[in-house]
Amino acid sequence: MTSDPTPGTTRSLGQLIDRLHQLPGIGPKSAQRIAYHIAHIPDDEARALADAIVAVKDMILFCDECRNLTDASPCAICANPQRNRDQICVVEESRDLVALERTRVYRGMYHVLHGALSPLNGIGPEDIHLPQLFARLQNQDNPLQELIVATNPTLEGDATADFIHRRLADTGIRITRLALGLPVGGSLEFADETTLSRAIAGRNALE
Amino acid sequence: MTQPRTYRAVGLTLRKSPVGEADIISSLYTREHGKLDVLARGARRLTSKLMGHFEPLTLVRLSIARGRTLDTVAEAEVVNAFPDVKSDYASVARGLHVAELVDGFSASSSSNPLVLDLALQTLRVIGSQPAVGDGELSSDLPLRYFDLRILNLSGFMPELFQCVECGAELEPELHRYAAGAGGALCSDCIPDDVAVRPLSLDALKVLRLLHRTGSVDQLPNLNMPATVHAEVSALCTETVQYWLDRQLRSQAFIDATKFA
Ligand SMILES: [Zn+2]
Ligand SMILES: [Zn+2]
Repeated sequence: MTSDPTPGTTRSLGQLIDRLHQLPGIGPKSAQRIAYHIAHIPDDEARALADAIVAVKDMILFCDECRNLTDASPCAICANPQRNRDQICVVEESRDLVALERTRVYRGMYHVLHGALSPLNGIGPEDIHLPQLFARLQNQDNPLQELIVATNPTLEGDATADFIHRRLADTGIRITRLALGLPVGGSLEFADETTLSRAIAGRNALE
Repeated sequence: MTQPRTYRAVGLTLRKSPVGEADIISSLYTREHGKLDVLARGARRLTSKLMGHFEPLTLVRLSIARGRTLDTVAEAEVVNAFPDVKSDYASVARGLHVAELVDGFSASSSSNPLVLDLALQTLRVIGSQPAVGDGELSSDLPLRYFDLRILNLSGFMPELFQCVECGAELEPELHRYAAGAGGALCSDCIPDDVAVRPLSLDALKVLRLLHRTGSVDQLPNLNMPATVHAEVSALCTETVQYWLDRQLRSQAFIDATKFA
């Protein structure tokens, strides 16, 4: 609910600022700046922005197979016969999938969890798209060659990877985790001990 | 006298919240200043030298610059990242139980080094337990020890020896317990307006044993029935939730993931 507008603004501006402020990564000052920007743009631009927001909500759905956000299910990746169906790469968010696609190295399938296990936020296995992953693996026509767990190298991402790993331990599916190592352009002396120890544990042969 | 522009602190990270493009606000419990919120600029960037230092359950040594609204991390060094705790999701959940309680029972700028020592010791013990998924369910007893100790350090230790209503010495029999009344009750007293639960003699003995034990790494290997274990856990959780006046999130998670 919007309280009385700050002197010098209006109720409608105040409402927009409040709404923008609720978006991730937008602080009160940014919200104000964007709201004033919108107040100044031409009518048709503002309407196009609003339409785009509504269209996303009207059109978007979860792909039945990979749970990525899509306009049609199966999504373009799941429907693509060129993709390798023997591999599934598990990511936390759609934007992680986009980042991996940009590398053009990976040609397998995906599964988007839309989150990670997070005890402090009360997010358990049922609150993210984990049950759909396990169901999907059970219903695979051909046995999966590899499940690549590409959750973030954070406490939550690691806990999620461990949960998946333990849950699937008896299935015989080969489960891998993205190599965790040194950032490109980084310097050894600045790496924290966890990063360094994982980089050593996950070292590769020079070919 | 003006305060120096930077100061140092050693603390355990309890939780982090992402802010802005790539920053983190980290909540720590420090030896020097109690609970502290600091801004780590750019710490979510893969190339940041601060990256990885502010994952929850990491003991860090910091150099901190005073800021107008929030103090900012100038330098950070990991002292102990507790890799054994982070190696499986069940011990992560247990570790976060420790973080959640330290967070809940501590106020900013009042420091109690005993709280930090207790948390660090408990994390070490959690890390040394076998992983849950590897078969045998490892005991939650270290967490219950932690619960009672942090209640004690915060001035909320439940009474385990006398009836909290009439003061009578507790006889060896079936008793009752009310977190809201401050502890155990004899069989005659029935206080108003508080939730009362039965308290078995075995559970009372376990609680007294936890109370007597000097430190979490000296806990004896108790072979207690699952029912007593469950009773002690429920009682501790209830007491902690009563004083924090909210549900424990990490506990719900620990319960939800006990599929093994
Ligand atoms: Zn799909
Ligand atoms: Zn009494």
